[in-house]
Amino acid sequence: MSHKHILLVDDDDDIREVAGISLEAVGGWQVSRAASGVEGIAKALAERPDAILLDVMMPDIDGPTTFERLQEDPQTRDIPVILLTAKAQTADRRRFEKLRVAGILTKPFDPMTLSDEVAAILGTQARLE
Amino acid sequence: MTTRVPAAIQAIFETSKDELARRIETLDETVAALLDGKLDESLRAEAERDAHKLAGSLGMFGLPRGSELARELEQALAVPDGPELSEAPRLAELVLALRSQLDDAPAGSEDNGDAVPPVSDGRALLLVSPDPALTERLTVEALKRHLRPRGAESSATARGLVAAEPPDAAVLDLNCPGQDHEGLELLADLAGNEPPVPVIVLTGSEALVDRVEVARRGGSGFIQRSSPESQVVAAVSETMERRDRAEVKLLAVDDDPAISEALAALLAPVGLKVTTLNDPRRFWERLEAINPDLLVLDLDMPDLNGIDLCRSVRADVRFGQLPVLFLTAREDTASVQRIFEAGADDYVRKPIVGPELVTRIQNRLERVQLLRELADRDGLTGVATRRKSTAGLEDLIALADRFGQPLSIALIDLDHFKELNDQLGHAAGDAALRRIGAMLTTAFRGEDVIGRWGGEEFVVGTYGMVGADGIRRVTEVLESFRAEQFTGRDGRSARVSFSAGVAEFPRDGRDLTDLYRAADEALYRAKAEGRNRVLPAGSPRSASRPPDAPPR
Repeated sequence: MSHKHILLVDDDDDIREVAGISLEAVGGWQVSRAASGVEGIAKALAERPDAILLDVMMPDIDGPTTFERLQEDPQTRDIPVILLTAKAQTADRRRFEKLRVAGILTKPFDPMTLSDEVAAILGTQARLE
Repeated sequence: MTTRVPAAIQAIFETSKDELARRIETLDETVAALLDGKLDESLRAEAERDAHKLAGSLGMFGLPRGSELARELEQALAVPDGPELSEAPRLAELVLALRSQLDDAPAGSEDNGDAVPPVSDGRALLLVSPDPALTERLTVEALKRHLRPRGAESSATARGLVAAEPPDAAVLDLNCPGQDHEGLELLADLAGNEPPVPVIVLTGSEALVDRVEVARRGGSGFIQRSSPESQVVAAVSETMERRDRAEVKLLAVDDDPAISEALAALLAPVGLKVTTLNDPRRFWERLEAINPDLLVLDLDMPDLNGIDLCRSVRADVRFGQLPVLFLTAREDTASVQRIFEAGADDYVRKPIVGPELVTRIQNRLERVQLLRELADRDGLTGVATRRKSTAGLEDLIALADRFGQPLSIALIDLDHFKELNDQLGHAAGDAALRRIGAMLTTAFRGEDVIGRWGGEEFVVGTYGMVGADGIRRVTEVLESFRAEQFTGRDGRSARVSFSAGVAEFPRDGRDLTDLYRAADEALYRAKAEGRNRVLPAGSPRSASRPPDAPPR
């Protein structure tokens, strides 16, 4: 496995930047970034990343809706998706678990361990550093 | 590779700080709107979103507590019709805590954080009024200004609150018949507290409150009970800021946070407000913001050393007189020489020995204060010089203008002073001047402006006091003064009186020139009518002599 490619979808600039740096520098991922669900779907189709880290709460189409659209399209159906969600939304958590997502990560995350957590969820323990 | 990550995240944090602060600002506005009963759905939704984003991001910047606070706010805001009004105080405190999380966040990756002194945010404000409705309105206003209000219906409750936590300021409603004695005692206790608590007294239109008595007990100011609450709280903030300006401030620059903390711990008990700075790169920004009375520098720091900082300080005319004290682990002659060559005033060896440091710092401060006193105090009488008191009066006028308060300015001139000097000698004349200076200093409050403006001319400015009250107090001084005897070289003695004119802001003028002219005109009339009296400005000749004016 050489550089794995992950798509990061979050409307918050800070989180995109910090998570991006964390995944690149600590985890050795190749990272693409999208600021909305629509942009995320477009990039997922164009780039076919190995995984998608998807924020739940976004304006326009939210994370779960974005996920459903990705599921509807055969070209993106098999890409594992990790939802990035706030701790408070425990009630929602059950709803997300019923979706066929690869995993759920909570915000705020620790930038030094984020890539390990992503790797653990994806079952690829290999650190690419 | 991974070691660069914290620095990169720190850099992102630095660039995002404004945006994070803006989000906290939205939360702040939301709480203010809630307090005003004006919270609409769009603001509530925006605030909920901002709280959500803060909750999601602060933790990744190393501020987990910030995330928790934001989360709590998010949950409180995530209700269809917005939070209840009763939730407002809790939300206000959450926003305050959130703000200090961001303010106290480390400034650089190698920096362990600066102890940033809060401005007036989070200060405890004691509200004493028998009227719960008034207390509630003031509470709302105080929360908007980021103060921590504590209400008390009686003096007894107030004392309990003071014992639990001495407030930074108090608003005292003395407008309740039968209770003014208790209220005045509470006032005296607050003013006599260590450090003194500034007290703003609410007065009614009816003359229930004896302003002179309040001033005597140490009240910091008056404001009409019917004034808008925002004005009352603004007056309190202003008073606290004035007190801050009078505090002795010390800025300590040391890359070792342990030393900075030790300094703060050693010096706070002796009444010094210590601001520590662990990152010398922010030195100038902080120096200008704090404008300290003394600077403590570490000799060896990364990036910039103390010697460089000291030289640059000495090169700036604004800080040429600022006392600079070095902390150093080195004792060799060359190092000590370098310290003094850079313009330092003194140095203290590390490890710091508490008492030695305190003594050296106090020595430096005393020297500076002495120099300042010499410039600002009249050597003979101990009151302010003309230059200093003019500035003081200008400040009081600005304050009175801002808060719609009266202000009285009295111009006092000794009677027949030339004859006193001629007949009893200059020593007796000087004794009379010294005595009047001392009497005025005792009779008026610390906040009042007392100055010597010429040979035998004095000026007194009293904030929050109408002309009639000003006349009463000056008249009291006149009565004591003329009872005293001054003795000359040959044993002959004489009594001395003075004449005075009293002008009132804004009735007799809106600036110092006009007020001085009005007071001077009244003084001239007092002299013309036979001296030994106090007259108000603007009144026609021989009319409206105050009831308790001295006999001719």
